[in-house]
Amino acid sequence: MNRIGYLASRYRAILAYTGLMFLLVGVLMATPLLALVAWPEEVDQAVWFLVPSLIVAGVGWILWRACRIPEAATLTTAEGGVIVLLSWVGAIVASAMPLIPTASLNFTQAMFEAVSGWTTTGLSVVDVTRVSHLVLLWRSEMQLVGGAGLAVIMLAALTGPVGPGISKAEGRTDQLVPQVRQSVRLVLGLYGIYMLLGVGSLWAVGLSWFDAVNHAFAAISTGGFSTYSDSIGHWDRPAVEGVLIGLMILGNLNFLTAYLLLRGRLRAVSRNGEIRLLALLIPMSVAVAYFATCRMLYPAPGKALRVAVFESVSALTTTGFQTVGYGNWNGSGVGLLVVLMLIGGGVCSTAGGLKQYRIHILFRVTVRELKRLLLPQSTIMAEPVWQGEHRIFLQDAHVRQIVAFVCLYLATYATGSLILTMTGNSMEAAFFEFASAIGTVGLSVGVTTPGANPVALWTMSAGMFLGRLEFLVILMTVMKLGRDLKQLGHLATEKRSSGR
Amino acid sequence: MSNHQYVVIVGCGQTGSRLANRLSVMGHSVVVIDQRRDAFAALGAEFSGFCLEGDGTDKACLDQAKISQADLVVAVTREDTVNMMVAQVTRHLWHIPRVVARVFHPALAAFCRKLGLETICPADTAADAVLRLAGLDGGPAGVGDGR
Repeated sequence: MNRIGYLASRYRAILAYTGLMFLLVGVLMATPLLALVAWPEEVDQAVWFLVPSLIVAGVGWILWRACRIPEAATLTTAEGGVIVLLSWVGAIVASAMPLIPTASLNFTQAMFEAVSGWTTTGLSVVDVTRVSHLVLLWRSEMQLVGGAGLAVIMLAALTGPVGPGISKAEGRTDQLVPQVRQSVRLVLGLYGIYMLLGVGSLWAVGLSWFDAVNHAFAAISTGGFSTYSDSIGHWDRPAVEGVLIGLMILGNLNFLTAYLLLRGRLRAVSRNGEIRLLALLIPMSVAVAYFATCRMLYPAPGKALRVAVFESVSALTTTGFQTVGYGNWNGSGVGLLVVLMLIGGGVCSTAGGLKQYRIHILFRVTVRELKRLLLPQSTIMAEPVWQGEHRIFLQDAHVRQIVAFVCLYLATYATGSLILTMTGNSMEAAFFEFASAIGTVGLSVGVTTPGANPVALWTMSAGMFLGRLEFLVILMTVMKLGRDLKQLGHLATEKRSSGR
Repeated sequence: MSNHQYVVIVGCGQTGSRLANRLSVMGHSVVVIDQRRDAFAALGAEFSGFCLEGDGTDKACLDQAKISQADLVVAVTREDTVNMMVAQVTRHLWHIPRVVARVFHPALAAFCRKLGLETICPADTAADAVLRLAGLDGGPAGVGDGR
């Protein structure tokens, strides 16, 4: 009985905070209506946003009022995971609803689009030439909010549980300062600065306000939704590409690194493994893309180099803006992009992929093991790693976690890609498109179309979701839910048999 | 948070970890230093500060904890002498506004107070508490220092 009471009190707190997150989603869903000021003729679509917004906010409000507890609860990462999982699923389903009537999608396509938005992927089945400004703005907003994370916004702006459990569950593992609330506020502040910087600079290079807002949102969240069907290729202007490259790299930076950069701690930044990897990977991949692929395809002066830089940065930062189609690219170009998409952006950023930090650690461990071959057996080697301004020594337990993560990631990648091949895609296309989905990138070689097989769309949706919330949290949460339910069932039968 | 404090706690034992948990919940920034990594297991899920593995009497370690920004330093390792040293060093080298040391030995504690350090002596505190419970408080403090 005690155990049931304990679980009930924990789940009460969990549901209360989930309700708060729903409330937040409801409020956010009403914000695209601001576009009505500029385009009042789209008012007939407003109802499709208002109704789901009110429903999700209402459910959230009821949950919050019914389960609210007198004082803030302390939640573990697993309990935070339950909140994150429930509220993300809720947010995605609610966000898909307006897209069904307004963008004339079916349920599968709308869910795909919403998952792609919230996970900051950018694969799209919407025909952007035929939808209203409201829908376009809503897509970009999903990416903006999904990039920051619902838990981060809740912790920073409203109340929330005590402790770092919930923000950790959403993938914000590095803290900027030794207090989680201040840390999330700083993250949100940095993100706000990026946003203003992005909108301002895109407007300055000649985009309309609407395009500047949408593309800034999609760039800093490393999302990649565009308001044109040929993405950034629509402008074909070096200035636009240059600004977006800057914004994509900002979005891919670990917030901790960005914070140190802002405070002028250049030494700490230059020692950072992710920054070093970035400094090595970008020039290398640009060189490969230029010499192996682009030089032959784009004879116009400068175009080949621009394409090589833009596509490499877009893939590595997991943004997914394109300036060209990849239909005529050779194997080395497509292969390079797949590798970059798998590596992905910085840990604790808005980017996806395996994350540069994990690659850096695995590289260091590999080098250490190679060195060990030539050393006496009993040698003890210490591997210092810089995390922000702190030097830590690499622990075996940490390496084990990374290895487990990489294994899960690659296994899921292989499985998902194979499923895509079974729905009638070539191997190259399937492995490209699923790397793009699981890394929350958004580059496409044409598997993602409105007419795509529903199985393919659901597979990619699952890949995007797992990729954004980092497998381990989802697995941990599902296992926790399973265990708690089993325990409840067990206790219930015990009670019944003892009552007889 | 107008009265937000930056607190450095040296020693993550029972006292240190409880203090860290409570300060974290109250919304303050907390850095805990301990020589043993296992000690940090005592911190609860509500703790959202930083853990620093290192020697609290080491300048490099204290610098890494950004001691110069601290509003409050608490020295609660199990060694009286370490606590005294941390308190003295942080007070005189970094001019921390508020430094509290825990010193078990009543005689050493009395000595610390003479040096002008804010000192907590669990034995004295317990004795005072007993006297208060018995309604006999107001007796001379510092008598029976073990000297």
